[in-house]
Amino acid sequence: MSRAAAAITLANVTVAYDRHPAVHHVSGRFGPGSLTAIVGPNGAGKTSLVRAITGAARVEEGRIDRGGISTSDIAYLPQQAALDRSFPITCRDVVMMGHWRRVGLFRRIGGGLRNAVREALEAVGLGGFGDRPIASLSAGQFQRLLFARMLLEDCPVVVLDEPFTAIDAKTMADLLGVVSRWHSEGRTVIAVLHDHELVRAHFPETLLLAREAIAWGRTEAVLTPANALRARRMAEAWAEHPGACARAA
Amino acid sequence: MLLDPLFGPFLEFAFMRRALVGCLALSLAAPPLGVFLVLRRLSLIGDALGHAILPGVALGATLGGLSLAAMSVGGIAAGLVIVLLAGLAARGTGLREDASLAGFYLVALALGVAIVSAGGTGVDLMDLLFGAVLGVDDGALLFMASVATLTLVALAVMWRPLVAETFDPGFLRHAGGGGAAWHLLFLALVVLNLVAAFHALGTLMAVGLMMLPATGARFWSGTVGGQVAAAVVTAMAASVAGLLVSFHADVPSGPAIVLAAGVLWAGGLLAGPQGSLLRRWISRPHLAA
Amino acid sequence: MFARRSLLAAPMLALPFGARDAHALDPRPSVASFSILADFLREIGGPLLAIESIVGPEADAHAFQPAPSDAQKLARARFVVLNGLGFEGWMPRLIRASGFRGREIVASRGVATITSKGHSHGHGHSHGHDEADPHIWQDPRRAITMVRNIADGLAAADREAAEAYRMGAQRYIAELQALDTWVEQQFASIPRARRRVVTSHDAFAYFGARYGIDFLSPQGISTRSEPSAQQIARLVQQLRRERIGAIFIEAGASPRVLEQVAAESGARIGGKLFSDALSVPDGPAPTYLAMIRHNTRMIVEALAG
Repeated sequence: MSRAAAAITLANVTVAYDRHPAVHHVSGRFGPGSLTAIVGPNGAGKTSLVRAITGAARVEEGRIDRGGISTSDIAYLPQQAALDRSFPITCRDVVMMGHWRRVGLFRRIGGGLRNAVREALEAVGLGGFGDRPIASLSAGQFQRLLFARMLLEDCPVVVLDEPFTAIDAKTMADLLGVVSRWHSEGRTVIAVLHDHELVRAHFPETLLLAREAIAWGRTEAVLTPANALRARRMAEAWAEHPGACARAA
Repeated sequence: MLLDPLFGPFLEFAFMRRALVGCLALSLAAPPLGVFLVLRRLSLIGDALGHAILPGVALGATLGGLSLAAMSVGGIAAGLVIVLLAGLAARGTGLREDASLAGFYLVALALGVAIVSAGGTGVDLMDLLFGAVLGVDDGALLFMASVATLTLVALAVMWRPLVAETFDPGFLRHAGGGGAAWHLLFLALVVLNLVAAFHALGTLMAVGLMMLPATGARFWSGTVGGQVAAAVVTAMAASVAGLLVSFHADVPSGPAIVLAAGVLWAGGLLAGPQGSLLRRWISRPHLAA
Repeated sequence: MFARRSLLAAPMLALPFGARDAHALDPRPSVASFSILADFLREIGGPLLAIESIVGPEADAHAFQPAPSDAQKLARARFVVLNGLGFEGWMPRLIRASGFRGREIVASRGVATITSKGHSHGHGHSHGHDEADPHIWQDPRRAITMVRNIADGLAAADREAAEAYRMGAQRYIAELQALDTWVEQQFASIPRARRRVVTSHDAFAYFGARYGIDFLSPQGISTRSEPSAQQIARLVQQLRRERIGAIFIEAGASPRVLEQVAAESGARIGGKLFSDALSVPDGPAPTYLAMIRHNTRMIVEALAG
């Protein structure tokens, strides 16, 4: 691990699209080295929140404190990235991209980097796939490949948006192993997920989001029927033509 | 001698040698750019840019007289402005890149026509600027060779970010790689090569050699590097073959070269090593893993 | 020019007519088939004639399509002057259609002709083999015969002004003779063996015959927009083999391609030659005299360099 783990602190964060708040006055903290799942009903603003954390979306109001690191120090796997899976590139070259922050334009690609790529591929169950074109990969294998790239990125914060959608159980189990490896390395990991059973089994902390933070803390305290009900009520209350927010600064 | 029909024309005539050198220079620089254009789904940009540079050419002619230097500079400037504006518009708003380019190039073309009509010279400026492969002179050759060298060096330097940005622009942007800058730099190279090639060899040859070998490269290789190499080789082969056909069979040279490139393209489609029709029809035993 | 001629002609006109009524001096409507003949008419008749040309400056008489306004010009006219020898293939029908009732004057009557080589001009027409080449005006000596024919024709049909026509023709013929001598002198400095040029238009046979210049057709090249390598190679070979000094080609091949041809064969590229028509008034060849002088200069410059 190259850097000390970072904490991400949200202070009254609002993210809006065309003045409608997708994330509404959310405050809280992802502790250093924490492993947190973000759950909530559809339209709860989960993707908007992680996009704000990674710097891809603008914060309308409030602040995000990233504990001294910049947004490019966050490894980010967006939701169902619209990548061209028939692009003429090998698995090795995709994983190699993970080293961009260190190698950049001119640094030579030495034996050390090649080893790192090989190890990453093995860690995600794609050992020996280095020379294969990505067009030959299944959906699950492709997702493993993206995880391998993130292994190379070696960032103190990892953010995943719905990483296990439409992949098989075996792949999911293997990739959860990678997540737990990151956690044991002390990195701060945040993942948007739908499957509450999976969250209960693998994620010690949870943020239940329904535009506003319904509950945030230890998973067993957050994922209660009462909180689920509050979240559902909150979702049903989203009005058609709201007036200006009374809490806006 | 068997080799006489192949080498004779080039040994005997200086204009054939010049034409060959011009084509080879174009074949080195343009097809790699073409491969990236195909991957970025900008295959039709060559035609669009050919029209989009008109206002620049017209202004260059107005300010600098009917000098080819002034018109070339004007054309390059216009092309750069248009790709820059189109790129910024696409990134700053939700407008897709191809739609953005379409919008800007049409406006540019209309502007160009208006400027030319107002100037009233009655001369077809584009005819003056656009050359023909058999008329390549020293100045045009030098221009082409310089642009080709610059392009190859630039591609070598920006290879990694260019591939990464083409495949996954979001990743590079996020990791601080400056995605948009590479894209604009790449398009600037495209503009430069097109204008140099229009001037030396004419529009058909310029766009033809940039795009035809590139669109067929996928049948020869499964990696970007391999496709670039295949495209360059195809373009060179087409240049030689086209010039020889033009010489022996009395076919106009520009079309002959592009047709030769087309034949090679069709060959790849039918029987190339990667994903061609032949490959699909003929099954080979699958591997163990 | 006009002013000078009117000043010369006016006192002469006054002599035969004296105090006759003004009608005798009204300009006679006249039509020439193309610009060169119109120029001859101007020189011969001056203010006596109101001249219109059917095929105007820098236009192509070979491929000309007459319009109704041309028929109207003819209908009004008292004289029409044409070259003959098949140059204005469209003229007979136009004359019939217009109801022309004046005097038809054929300028080429009695002129010794050269047999055409039978090449196509690329305008969509060609001279057949063994036909007379119609471009007789390119030789100033033959032009003198044409001017005499025109003056005789005018005089026969218009006796009142016959003397004026004859005097106008005489004066102009003197100028044509001076021109002929001048052209001969221009070419004197160039050895006969070097006087070989290639032109894309087969119109200079008479000029070539008169002054000892070989005008050859370009082998291979046509007026197609882009030539093949084979065509260029043939042309280069021809230029080298025939030791051609200069090449004059208008339409078709791009100028840069021609530059390559010139560089490789040692021939020089010449300026624009006027063959079948005069230039526009502010161009280099607005009159016949200017045209011959201009062509001569162009050829001499290209061969001398």
